[in-house]
Amino acid sequence: MAATKEPNADSEVHKTSLPGELQYIQYQHSLEAQYLPAIRSLISKDLSEPYSIYVYRYFLCQWGHLCYMALNPTDSSLIGVVICKLEMHSSHSTPTLRGYIAMLAVSSQYRGHGIATKLVRMAIDAMAERNADEIVLETEETNIPAMRLYERLGFLRSKKLHRYYLNGNSAYRLVLPLKAVDESAEESE
Amino acid sequence: MEYYNPNSYPAFSAFEEPPPPAISSEGIIAEDITKRFRSAASTLEPGELVKDGYFSLFESVGALEIMDPKMDSGCLAPGESLYEDYDVTRPLLPSEVIGIIDQLLSFEVAWHLGYPLSQTLFTSVYIEKMVQLSPQNLEDADFIKDRPAGSPRDPMHTVLRAYCLGLLKSCHYVNERIKQEHSYEEEDFVTNTYSRSLLENLDRDMIREEIMAARKVIDDMKGELTDEVAHALGFRLELRTAFLRAIELSELRTNSDSLSVPWYQMQGVWESINKSRSLGTPVPDAFSAKIQRRLASTMPPRPIVQPTPEEAHENFKRMIADGIRVVNVLNYSDSQSLLNFVMTFQAQRPQPLVYIRSLLQSFLFHEMVILGRLSIRQILGDDLSITVLGRSVLLDPANDEIEAPQHPLFVISQQMELFRQRAAQSYLDIFRTFCQNRCRVRRTMFHALLDWESMQIDAQELDSRLQLQLKEKPLIYPPTNGVESYSLPLSSWTYLYKLRLMEWTVQLGFELDIYHPDELAGMYWYLGYLARTRAAHVERVQFFAARRAESEHNMSKTYTSLRPSQSQNYRSKPYLDLAALETAYTSDLADALSWLYAALLRLGLVRPPPRPYSTEALRYHQVRMKPFAGIGLPELPSHEAFARVVAQEGTSTPMLLEQAARAAKDARGKLEGMAKLKEKEAFAVGCHEAWLKGVKNATRAAIATVVAATSLGKVVQEKREGRVTVEVPKAEKAYHEWWIVPRVVEVRD
Ligand SMILES: CC(C)(COP(=O)(O)OP(=O)(O)OC[C@H]1O[C@@H](n2cnc3c(N)ncnc32)[C@H](O)[C@@H]1OP(=O)(O)O)[C@@H](O)C(=O)NCCC(=O)NCCS
Repeated sequence: MAATKEPNADSEVHKTSLPGELQYIQYQHSLEAQYLPAIRSLISKDLSEPYSIYVYRYFLCQWGHLCYMALNPTDSSLIGVVICKLEMHSSHSTPTLRGYIAMLAVSSQYRGHGIATKLVRMAIDAMAERNADEIVLETEETNIPAMRLYERLGFLRSKKLHRYYLNGNSAYRLVLPLKAVDESAEESE
Repeated sequence: MEYYNPNSYPAFSAFEEPPPPAISSEGIIAEDITKRFRSAASTLEPGELVKDGYFSLFESVGALEIMDPKMDSGCLAPGESLYEDYDVTRPLLPSEVIGIIDQLLSFEVAWHLGYPLSQTLFTSVYIEKMVQLSPQNLEDADFIKDRPAGSPRDPMHTVLRAYCLGLLKSCHYVNERIKQEHSYEEEDFVTNTYSRSLLENLDRDMIREEIMAARKVIDDMKGELTDEVAHALGFRLELRTAFLRAIELSELRTNSDSLSVPWYQMQGVWESINKSRSLGTPVPDAFSAKIQRRLASTMPPRPIVQPTPEEAHENFKRMIADGIRVVNVLNYSDSQSLLNFVMTFQAQRPQPLVYIRSLLQSFLFHEMVILGRLSIRQILGDDLSITVLGRSVLLDPANDEIEAPQHPLFVISQQMELFRQRAAQSYLDIFRTFCQNRCRVRRTMFHALLDWESMQIDAQELDSRLQLQLKEKPLIYPPTNGVESYSLPLSSWTYLYKLRLMEWTVQLGFELDIYHPDELAGMYWYLGYLARTRAAHVERVQFFAARRAESEHNMSKTYTSLRPSQSQNYRSKPYLDLAALETAYTSDLADALSWLYAALLRLGLVRPPPRPYSTEALRYHQVRMKPFAGIGLPELPSHEAFARVVAQEGTSTPMLLEQAARAAKDARGKLEGMAKLKEKEAFAVGCHEAWLKGVKNATRAAIATVVAATSLGKVVQEKREGRVTVEVPKAEKAYHEWWIVPRVVEVRD
């Protein structure tokens, strides 16, 4: 959703091996006090501008069931998170049920182990089960790891968004079609 | 929005109940709802969201958290003062004035690049002091307020003030120009002035006089300043006058030679400014991010954006060079050269700045007078004539004079007017679209496709009415084993543009790195398919155009008042010949690359990602080709047919590579032929150099394709597939942004 910061020099350096089998759990409101601060801090670490608490609650209060967390089995601390929404989208001539991956982050020392891939797959599965027609997201044109991850799963770049972020960087809109939607060639904004 | 009042802080501690505000205003009955609010709130769990259905993601992103220093512009660190405390009345050294001006130049560039005034020029304390009270007259336009009457300004203050006057005034014109033309707020440029004045009330000539007076002040200080410093200051002031002059002249849209004079002057002055940068002493304290707190804005405070002096230099230099070049658009020759001018001008990397792109739009369209002297009818008529109609009687303005409603020329004139009304906006929008940023060009063209699709149907209807009036005799087309057909000029013209738009969207996809490497075989096949479709259409148009004189002769026999279409040499011939050449090289090179990438896929040297979700067919219909789904002609192939033709299964890999090398060689030959065309033949009058550069770059891409296909052929022959890797460059690294040629690289041990 927002632009990521330039990775700091040490973020990729010390890779840690995984502390055993991670726990993957679905978020729910009763976990807010325990996990919301950790979610915020994990995500804002890589953001160039912070989101207010409302943005997190906007998603989590309405679509907590589309948020998944990867937890450290030893102390249940947060290692990764994906946050989504699923809504009717009606700027098309035929409205579609559109899933949107809003935020995704994995703690830098545990990257490269497939954690984000697993979280995104859980989110896609949950949205597909709820009859999503398509899943979309934006990612910064310079965010190679994120783009590779989504493209590996089947997303295609549908358009480039000029200077989409406040930091002046452009983005790609990525789309994963899940169902055939019969409609004319109207492109959405 | 004022969400924080610094004066009331900290009137109460966070734990104490604040006293209710005393509301006594006529007509308002105050009611304390604290208790009710509390009891309602107590039923909610912490973190529960209370919102109505209209509270969107956009609103939640706009929400701010009070007391978070990154969001709350009123949040102060212990001991921090609310406002900057820089004293603008302090005396300035000449070197400091140079330093401040050069910092302002950097900020001006940042603003042109798309950053808001709040993070750029409006971080200057001098500017803030000058404009915060919206000066209504020249005397008030000063950063030093309440100067004792009669006391002269300090000379260095005079220079800096004059510079700021010229700077702000030009910013005003730039901002207004951009607002009048089409661009995308925030994405391209931020026109917000935060309720601050850009001296719109002050007369341009008065400001110019102030700058002249300041230059005089510098001259009078000759004894106190070194020549170098005096010149450095003088050049900086001259830049402001020249820029104001360039803006003023651009409003005239007359003679390109006179319009470019002040731009040339800026170019010379800019070099001197750049060389004298070292004479300046920066004054960082004269700029502050805190000024944002005073601006009318709902945005959280954002960091200052200051390009380096080198970036500022590069961008300013480029703006001036583009300013010199853009006025050449005024030398109109023909509609196709005009289109080529706009296309090649906008294809430059980096793209010209928004202001220059807005100038181009104003030259083109201001007050619906094209280039300041042509009507839309003229330019549309010119284009119809060049592309399909030649000197057809359909375009004769004398038709409008006929008053008898039964007269065929009366009907023709009416139908042609209907067509112009239908087509004019869509046609001009092509030019306007090319003036946008590249991402928007592609997206806007997708929308335009549907418009052209429906226009083609409307045009067919008009064509059939026209052929009736012209008593047109159908011809057998194609000449061998064809069917009786009519020339259909208006729908032919529409189809020609629709096909070009389709090709452009695919080509922009390459340019913007939209396609994954494993999609390239398919997308180049589709480009080739479109180019071949256009080539066939061009051939049809050529056929009917060459016989138009004859067919219209029938009519002139009946109506002696008619001016017979004179020569057998139809005027559209050179254009159609060029279009034939251009479509031929495009399909050749597109085919070559499609085959090359198909071979790479077979060899596993380009691999599709695993893509466990969705299917190829869904991706094809719902994403990649979705914009073309609504197009009836040429119809989008089914995914099955598409996959089959792209894979070329009937052809062996060595054959495929041989075919690719041959097609790329053919493309190269055609491109070299094009490179020999004179500017008139190329329909590149006024932009031949830029056009030729595009042709040369495409030629290099064709040569590289031959090399890649040939060397890969050898690799296959020698069974060394495992010993090579393939690099697919990003478009910016390719010879030509529209031709992504893979590089075959030997693996080293
Ligand atoms: C983008 C981001 C979420 C990826 O997280 P991650 O957990 O490292 O992602 P994955 O491990 O699933 O995939 C990364 C790599 O590990 C590889 N990998 C996948 N499964 C693996 C496994 N079981 N073991 C080892 N490696 C694996 C993947 O192939 C991938 O390699 P490649 O991209 O070089 O081909 C992470 O870099 C991040 O948090 N970045 C900052 C925030 C951000 O950019 N968010 C996205 C905004 S849209």
